[in-house]
Amino acid sequence: MPAPPPDARSFTATVSAVVACGTDGVLLSVRPPQPLPPLRAARFFMLRREDGASPAIPRPFSLYRQADDELVFLVKVTGRGTRALAACEAGSKLRVIGPLGNGWPDLDGDGGPWVMLAGGIGSAPFFMAIEQALSGLGAAPALAAENLCLLYGASTAGFLYDLERFEELGVRVLVATDDGSRGFRGNVCELLEREWEAGGLPRDVRLLACGPDPMLHAVERLARARELSCWLSLEELMGCGVGICNGCPVPTRPEGPLGAWPNAKCCVEGPVFSTEEISL
Amino acid sequence: MADLSVELASLALRNPILSASGTFGHGLEMEHFSPPHTMGGLVSKTVTLRPRPGNTAPRIHETEAGFLNSIGLENRGIGAYLRDVLPRVADADTRIFTNIGGEEAGEFAELASMLDERDEVDALEVNLSCPNVGGGRLPFSTDPALAERVMRGVREATDKPVFAKLSPNVTRIGEIARGAEAGGADGVTAVNTLLGMAVDWRHRKPRIASVQAGYSGTGIKPVALRCAWECARAVDVPVIGCGGVGSAEDVLEFVVAGCSAVQVGTAAFSDPALPGTLAEHLDDLLEAEGVASVRELVGSLDREGRAPA
Ligand SMILES: Cc1cc2nc3c(=O)[nH]c(=O)nc-3n(C[C@H](O)[C@H](O)[C@H](O)COP(=O)(O)OP(=O)(O)OC[C@H]3O[C@@H](n4cnc5c(N)ncnc54)[C@H](O)[C@@H]3O)c2cc1C
Ligand SMILES: Cc1cc2nc3c(=O)[nH]c(=O)nc-3n(C[C@H](O)[C@H](O)[C@H](O)COP(=O)(O)O)c2cc1C
Ligand code: FES
Repeated sequence: MPAPPPDARSFTATVSAVVACGTDGVLLSVRPPQPLPPLRAARFFMLRREDGASPAIPRPFSLYRQADDELVFLVKVTGRGTRALAACEAGSKLRVIGPLGNGWPDLDGDGGPWVMLAGGIGSAPFFMAIEQALSGLGAAPALAAENLCLLYGASTAGFLYDLERFEELGVRVLVATDDGSRGFRGNVCELLEREWEAGGLPRDVRLLACGPDPMLHAVERLARARELSCWLSLEELMGCGVGICNGCPVPTRPEGPLGAWPNAKCCVEGPVFSTEEISL
Repeated sequence: MADLSVELASLALRNPILSASGTFGHGLEMEHFSPPHTMGGLVSKTVTLRPRPGNTAPRIHETEAGFLNSIGLENRGIGAYLRDVLPRVADADTRIFTNIGGEEAGEFAELASMLDERDEVDALEVNLSCPNVGGGRLPFSTDPALAERVMRGVREATDKPVFAKLSPNVTRIGEIARGAEAGGADGVTAVNTLLGMAVDWRHRKPRIASVQAGYSGTGIKPVALRCAWECARAVDVPVIGCGGVGSAEDVLEFVVAGCSAVQVGTAAFSDPALPGTLAEHLDDLLEAEGVASVRELVGSLDREGRAPA
């Protein structure tokens, strides 16, 4: 029975800053009672306010950055829970459950370059992924910047959250918007195809993707058609985040490495899955 | 220190706080959040004879004052439970309740006899009331005779204490409790989820794929309290209260209404560390009130006169 990670805890933390980001987002900085060790990118936390302004069930958010003993989250306002978090002030108390989930695999230098496909708020788990790849994490040594490329897409420029900071990381960042308000007109899959045709990227890339469902479906199809290694960070609806409610099933591949059971739990077996393991 | 220990039939518990089935894992998954020694007992997710993959997603939806779920009893079946889960709870510093479910009366008895041999299991809870299988028909928890029949089968299959988990989706839950008692139940758990539903009118879609779902959490507490109270008046065996419990105050409301123990479900999703803090809070409340033992309060509801303002 999959259990939450052994380092996960439930604690009260204090909001230290809330800064607007993009059209409908905020950067929420949170100070835990004790600093946390460096965490792998794409792990997540469940968050809710303790003053009753949030719904009772906390909501999942990828860790965006870790800096000065603080956890920073990039939150897009979509409903009750995210609205309450965005309305926090410095000093607001949050219930924080985490760190949860597995995070991206080690970004090693033993294959083709890594291409990160981010759709809108799906960029959140990539900031630290790039930082960690460039400095080395776990068993993986530091990766040269030319082995990494971020394709950052959104429907319109206002949903390219914190783009300037991504551009300052020192890796190649290509931008796409559906309405052409910034960069390539189209989506990140079309942008990748264009790069292949123009020779801007080799064919044997390895893919990491996070974004809305239709985008992840398209990335999965593309990865299967071209037989590329591919990992998806899923943003399934969650209840508990710690493996006890069975509310976050993801269909597994019948012959895949997760075994014969038809569902994986997104919260404790993901949120990152390889396309060998699951099929959306 | 107040005395928090309670007795459920032949079973002594260190405190009256249990986890609710399906909201705390199968075994010790929550041990880093709510350590087993802080709990009176842990109730497993429902285990069925055969593996059940569960219902299609979306399976969950939070509403204004509660939570809808239609998990559909996803579990890997009794074989996997006996092999993979029970060995890990062997040394657990708390009571282990295995919750069992079936679609026919005979399945419950079969499960009970398989668990009877296992020392890791302290008691069985018999899920007569899952709304998320068989289209919400709830046969065993809406007919006292059927509840009696299932419990009799289970009673004959095991010497362990057995508790019948009842549904609030009936007019007179006391009659079902009496049926379960007549079949040999050592106690009843009141209640499972209410049948509920939520709609996304803009897209003309149900919020939960199976349309109907089980409603739990804060919003059901008054209903659960009334059900538990009716059961406590109807039967002589102990009643375990369940529904919307999120604080030590809530625990004592159920105790005063007649419950010997209480289960915490949906509140664990708000904070998986909460169930483990309740016993300590309970102790504080009893100390402040000058009550020596929680057992003194069981069923102490006084219907004469009015409470002081
Ligand atoms: C592992 C993980 C990491 C995440 N990381 C981030 C992050 O870094 N930043 C961020 O802004 N968001 C992130 N999300 C998504 C975020 O959790 C949801 O946006 C949030 O739960 C919405 O809550 P709400 O109360 O505001 O909206 P609700 O009122 O619950 O829902 C509003 C609308 O959004 C839909 N919805 C709710 N949750 C989801 C979801 N998970 N996926 C798709 N649709 C949904 C609902 O069906 C509804 O139509 C992440 C989700 C997961 C599972
Ligand atoms: C996600 C979820 C799964 C549940 N699964 C089960 C189950 O497998 N068996 C069972 O007897 N009850 C199950 N229940 C019902 C709970 O045990 C409990 O009776 C109900 O939720 C009311 O308590 P609460 O308001 O404290 O949650 C489940 C409840 C939820 C929310
Ligand atoms: S969100 Fe509860 S099991 Fe994954």
